[in-house]
Formats: sequence, structure tokens, C-alpha cells
Amino acid sequence: MDPDVIARLRAAVGAGAVLTEPAAVRAYECDGLTGHRAVPAAVVLPLTTEETAAAVRILHGAGIPYVARGSGTGLSGGAVAISDGVVICLARMRSVLAVDIANERVTVQPGVTNLAVSEAVAGHGYFYAPDPSSGAVCSIGGNVAENSGGAHCLKYGFTLHHVCGVTMVCPGGEVVRLGGAVADPPGYDLLGVVVGSEGTLGIVTEVILRLVPRPPACITTLAAFDSMEAAGAAVSAIVAEGILPAAVEMMDRLTIEAAEAAVNAGYPDCEALLLVEIDGPEAECRTVLAAVDRICREAGGSGARVATTAAERALLWKGRRAAFAAMGRVSPDYYVQDGVIPRTRLGPVLRGIRELELEFGLRVGNVFHAGDGNLHPLVCYDGNVPGQSERALELAGRILDLCLAEGGSITGEHGVGLDKACHMPRMFSADALAVMARVRDAFDPEGLCNPGKLLPTPRLCGEVPGPYRAHPIETAGLAERL
Amino acid sequence: MSTAAAPARTLLERAAGEDAVREGTAADAVGGLVPAAVVSPVDEAAVAAVCSAAHRAGLALVVRGAGTRQGWGRTPRRCDAVLDTSRLRGVVEHAPGDLVCTVRAGTPLDELREVLAAAPGHRQWLPLDPPQPGAQTVGGLVATAAAGPLRVRYGTARDLVIGARFVLGDGTVGHSGGRVVKNVAGYDVTRLLVGSLGTLAVITEVTVRLHPLPPASRSLLLERASPARLAALSDLLRTAPVVLSAADVCWPDATARLRVDGTEEAVDEQAAALAGLTGARVLDGAEAEALDAALAVRPWRGEGAVAGLAVPRTRLAELLELASAYAVEMVVRAPLGVAEARLPERPEVVAQLRAAVERLGGHLVLHRGGPGLAGVALPAGDGPEVALMRALKRSLDPAGVLAPGRALGDEETA
Repeated sequence: MDPDVIARLRAAVGAGAVLTEPAAVRAYECDGLTGHRAVPAAVVLPLTTEETAAAVRILHGAGIPYVARGSGTGLSGGAVAISDGVVICLARMRSVLAVDIANERVTVQPGVTNLAVSEAVAGHGYFYAPDPSSGAVCSIGGNVAENSGGAHCLKYGFTLHHVCGVTMVCPGGEVVRLGGAVADPPGYDLLGVVVGSEGTLGIVTEVILRLVPRPPACITTLAAFDSMEAAGAAVSAIVAEGILPAAVEMMDRLTIEAAEAAVNAGYPDCEALLLVEIDGPEAECRTVLAAVDRICREAGGSGARVATTAAERALLWKGRRAAFAAMGRVSPDYYVQDGVIPRTRLGPVLRGIRELELEFGLRVGNVFHAGDGNLHPLVCYDGNVPGQSERALELAGRILDLCLAEGGSITGEHGVGLDKACHMPRMFSADALAVMARVRDAFDPEGLCNPGKLLPTPRLCGEVPGPYRAHPIETAGLAERL
Repeated sequence: MSTAAAPARTLLERAAGEDAVREGTAADAVGGLVPAAVVSPVDEAAVAAVCSAAHRAGLALVVRGAGTRQGWGRTPRRCDAVLDTSRLRGVVEHAPGDLVCTVRAGTPLDELREVLAAAPGHRQWLPLDPPQPGAQTVGGLVATAAAGPLRVRYGTARDLVIGARFVLGDGTVGHSGGRVVKNVAGYDVTRLLVGSLGTLAVITEVTVRLHPLPPASRSLLLERASPARLAALSDLLRTAPVVLSAADVCWPDATARLRVDGTEEAVDEQAAALAGLTGARVLDGAEAEALDAALAVRPWRGEGAVAGLAVPRTRLAELLELASAYAVEMVVRAPLGVAEARLPERPEVVAQLRAAVERLGGHLVLHRGGPGLAGVALPAGDGPEVALMRALKRSLDPAGVLAPGRALGDEETA
């Protein structure tokens, strides 16, 4: 890279905040989906909106592509660097700027972790609703980029529904404020398209979030079933009765056993289990719990087993959250797929996945957000067996075919990134993709802001990702895949 | 028909078929602009053909659903033809088990409600209660992002629309989102169309997420309350152990209506808690229904200028003082700090009120103006945010086919 550009970046953000040593920049070569890698020429670590804007202006002027990055826990290769480009890492921007309980708002820098937001307001009886499983380490900036979900999105909605406003550095270096603390901002809802744009429309440097009061009551229950189909039928029946739980999670035998071995959650020995959380006014929780208990029995399952203490409740969730990492105990390697189906189609899709297991001779663990049809099949394989890694990827792709055939989506919460850009034409017409490209052009006419992600490009679609490898923060036990 | 208008009508007839086009009349006027023609395309392909023809010929189209909010936004610079969506009608698919419904844009909201209510064995609804209920279309509802009291619990169209099909001003047919509630594939273009006043694309089909119809509902009324007591409500409700569906403070009536939805036991428990906390009276079914009906049209009854205001929820007291000072009829969704207000048609009053609201950290958007308020519709704005909005409009509608000038003013096309 042009030494003059590096010198100007150093002048803008400080010499210590620009990394160029090969060993230092290599740490930024991939995100949580480690099969995709590229080493950047430099990494910039700004502390403020102004520093970020200054860096972007320099790169924009020099025509150098850049990628914004938070904690790097994403699972779609959305934060993979551009070779010879620059990574703008926002992990040092981690201040909670303002807590306004009376107006139910909190303003944070993008590097603040998801969990830290809830922790900052817990004493006031509030929480931040979107709860990706990597909440302890993933950053709010990354959540905004991916429109992150989590188990409780069934009732509370996604990041989109909880971001009121952002400060964003545009690809040309201008700073804009989209949305705001107050409702119904005039003009086009640019914020609505920036959330979930995977860092391709600008770099968000400040975020105003909506806080949600802790519900008066919350009940976590568990029910065991002797088949996934029976558990799926119970989910459909819960929905059909007009019940909207806070979360409905499903696990199959393979993932139950793995989670049990990892954290001893006390899960029953069964083919499938449902983890249901109900919250709201006390009286409503009691009525709904009785209905869920009845529905589960009618579907052939056990009755609802309620976690009675906070510790028990935490343990039930710990098992669920640990499910991905725990797969390491039953398989040397695994690939996490993320697809969505209409929740009424759980049965046929699960049967389809079983058939794929037989066809490919690989095991697939199923753990997912059953309430909203968001599947996370874990395709198990052994990377040391020649050809198995490729076969696992092919199987994972075939699962997306099942999702699309049922009218679903190729991603429910992990994003398109680099990994699924080539799958986009299977879900969107060429014209629909052209419209999205025109949206991107309005924000980033030069195509310097995270190029190659989200929308398919012929060059990238010819590439095959490298073998999947464990991410350093995963190996260190700091995060799990979900 | 004027001779200048003849080519427009001929072009549209060629694109959509002769029986889909009629001459425009004074009744079709948009902000005083009488269109040469009204075109009612029979399907999405015909919409695309119409837009493509307009794009090539340099015609300006203004989309119209039921026409109930044709005055929202600024008056467009031009209106060569009205594109009427009434033939894009009907529910495409209601999947009750998935709590989603796909509907064509020209379908009246009432028709959608009937289809949902008639689904056997399922009690579901689209919890949107915009003002002027009845004939308004689903597409119009999305394009104006109109919402009523229930937005306190269920949000607005922004929160409930999960996918759409649409046609750009040049005839490109796009789609985004999908038919599953959880979905992050691609840009959320649908979100851009919500509240865009028909200036970015013609919405042809919308998929919405539905909610279970709550088995029971209770409303409470607080009457003849002092402004201080009303203002204190916001904080009182924030910490109350209830889940509110609506909380409307009405001025100058000095009343507040609270509503909770849920199971029988839960609504009784919550209504009792609210009555104890606020001193409000629990209404019986008939009273609650009458109040719902009255609130649905406030402050929209008849003619007159109506604006949307928003301030931080903690500034409710100041907002009510403004309502009092400017003799403005106002309904405030207290937990959100959002209000709808009937304004006097005097530009200087609107300007003063806007400045006062902005000093509170909020903003004022005029929804329905009047001849006396031409040109004061939206905040002018020339910041980088507006520049970005203009860039988006240029990118999606470079020829300025769709209601040019309505959303952003005169300079939106370069």
C-alpha cells in the first residue's frame, strides 16, 4: 500500500492506531466463518466518529477499499478483509455514551458488546431485547450491520426494531444522523435499510437503542418428545392457539447429548426437546403455561417442566447456548447452516434433512429457533478425511434448497456476507438484485465500502472457500456459534 | 381533453390496454394538478409497462390507492397521470399457521380484515389501526406509514411488513424480504418504501406478519385531569406492571384512554392495577367500543390541516402546554411521545409550533395541509441526510417519474 496513505492515516488517528505489521494484520484475516480469509494491508483502530470519518475520507480519496469490523464473530464472512485493502476495526469504540431511562433509550459506541447494554440498564429494570448467542462478545455495531436476532426475537423483534437512530460515516466521508431518539423521523427511512446492510452502506459509529422493561413475570419450561415431528407439531399447535411465547427453541438427540456432555443442563434423554419461555403479566403467564403444558402432552410429549429458580433457568439456557460449541465433542468439525422455513413446514424439512444425512453419509445436528422457523443444522464431518469438507458444504447447500422450496430464506440471522452472496440469485430475481445494487450505488457510488459482500459478483462466485477452521475466540472458549 | 395531454393518454393505453385508461377529471386532481389520464393497471406486469412507458416519455405518475391520503407530503411538481391501484386487489395467500399474509397493494384494509377474521379456527389480525379506517388500501397504508393508537404495543407498518413486490419508475420489477418473519437476505428495500409516499416505487404486493387476536381487552378512562396529572402519566405508565396496547392523552379534553389486551384474567388484573395507579375508570364493553371509534378519527374528522408531532416521552407536559397555547387539538400516544394534531391553517402558527417542538428535541411533519399551508409541508432540510435521500431517489427513479417533488421538494432530481 502507498506509504503516503499510511502516513496520512497515522496523522488522522494516531500512529499507534494504524497496524501494518504482517503478524498484527493477520489477526484480522477472517471473522467467525473461518473458511474465508484475506489479509488486509492495514488495520485502522479509530476512537471517535471524527477519526473514522477522517480515515474514510483518506481511503475514499485514494480509491482504497475498506471493511468495517466489530468483534469479528459474524458467521457469513461479512467482515473478511479485502486483500491489500484496509480494515477499520471499531472494537476500541466501546463507551456507553448516555443512559436515559425515563425515555427508555441508551446511546452507545459500536464496539460495546450486546450483553454490556443489558448489563448497563439491568439495575433500572430494563433490558436490550435482541440476544444473539454470542452476546457476551459480539458488538452492537456488528448487530446493526447484520440485523442480529436471537432466541427472544420471536416476541420482541430483531435489531431493526430496537435501533432508533445511528450516526454513520458515509462512504464519501460525510457524517449523517439517521433516525434519532424520537419516533417518526421525517423523510425516507434510510435507517431501515442501513440496519442489516452488512457494512456495505457506511460505517455506523454511534447507536441509539430502545430499552425494554423487564416483563413482570418470566417462566422457562422444557418438554421432551420422542420425535422431532411431534415437537414440531407442538410448536404449530402453540402458534395456532394464538400463543406468542418469548422464545421457542428445539434441539434433537444429537445436540441434546452434546450439550449435556458439555454443561450438564439436566436435559431429559429424548429424541427432541422444546425449550419454551413465556413472559408478560403474571396472570397471563400462568394461563399460557397451562396451555403449553396441555399442548405438549396432546402432541405426545411430556408435560412442561418448569425451571423454578433463576439458577435452573440459566442452566436450561446455558445448554441451549452451548449446543454449537458442544458439537466439537461428537464431531471433529462442523459447518453451521442458517436457513429459514415457514414454521408449519418443520416436519417435511426435517424429514428432508434426514434423507440428506443418509445420502451423504454425514450426521446433521438440529438445533433451532423453532418459533420463527430459523434452522441451524450442524453438518458434522471430519476435515482429515479427504473430500468430506466439500461434501459437508454441499449438504449444507442442499439444506438451503429445502428452505427455498418451502418459501423460506437463505439466512435468518447470520447474513449473506461473502459466504452466501452466490446464493442470492436463488432467492431474488436478477431485476430485484439490480434494485439492491442501485440502493448501494446511492450510498457508495465508488464501491469502496465492503465490496464483494451481500450481492453476488461473477468473480467471487467462482471461488471456493478454504476448509473450515475453528476461530481463535472459539478455541479460547469465549464464544459459541449460533 | 387538451391536445397536449393526448400523447400521454395514448402512450398509457398502449402500455396498459385501452380499457385500463380513462380521462382525468377535477376529482382526480392532486394538489390542484388535474391529470390527463387515470390508468388502472390490471396486474403487476401492466404496472411495469405503464412505468416503463412513462419513464421513456418523461411522464410523471402519482400512485393512488383509495385516495384518502393523496394530500400527504408536498404537492408533486407534475402529475401527468394518476396510477390507480384498485385493480391490484385480493389476498394472495393467508398462511394462518405461519401468522403471515400476502396481499395485493390495492386491497382495502377492511377487505383484508374480513379475510383474516373468516379464517376458520384461527383468531388473527393485522394490528394496524390507522386514522380514516375503511376504504384505505394496504399499499397506501404502507406508503404513508399511517398508524393509530395500537402502535404503542404492535408498532407501525415498519414493524409489521416483512416483504414486498414493487415496480420502480422505469418499470423494473423488484422484490425484497419474503414470506418468513425472520429473514436477513439482501437489503431491506421494503423498509425504504414504508412512508415513502409513493415516490420510490409502486408497491404491488405486501406480505405482513399477523398477531394472534387477543381474547380480551380492557379500556380505562381518566377524565378531567389536570395537565400536570396527565403529564405525570408517562412516567407512571413506564414503571407500571402492565403491558399497554394503547395510551392516548387527548387535548383539550384533558382525558386519557388506556388499553390492555390479553387473556381474561390478565386484562382484569392489569386494569385493576392501572385503576389503582392512575385513578382511571375501567369502562364496560360498549363504552370502550364507543371510545375506540371516537379515537379512531381524532383529529382527522372532516377537513383541516393535520400534523404528526414527536417529542421525547418525558416532554409530554411541554407538549400539552403548546397544545394549549396554540389552541391545537391533539391526541398523544403518551408512551411514545408521538402526537397527531389539528392545526390552524396559518403558516406562521405552524412555523412557531414547529420551532417549539424542535426545541423540545422533536419534530413536526404536516400530513394534511390546506391551501393556506402550501409549501410548509415538510421540514426543508439541506443536511447530508437529505442529500443521501435525494441520491437514493435519483438512483431508483432517475427520470423523476413517481410523484416528483412530493417527498423531498424541488431539488430531488438533478
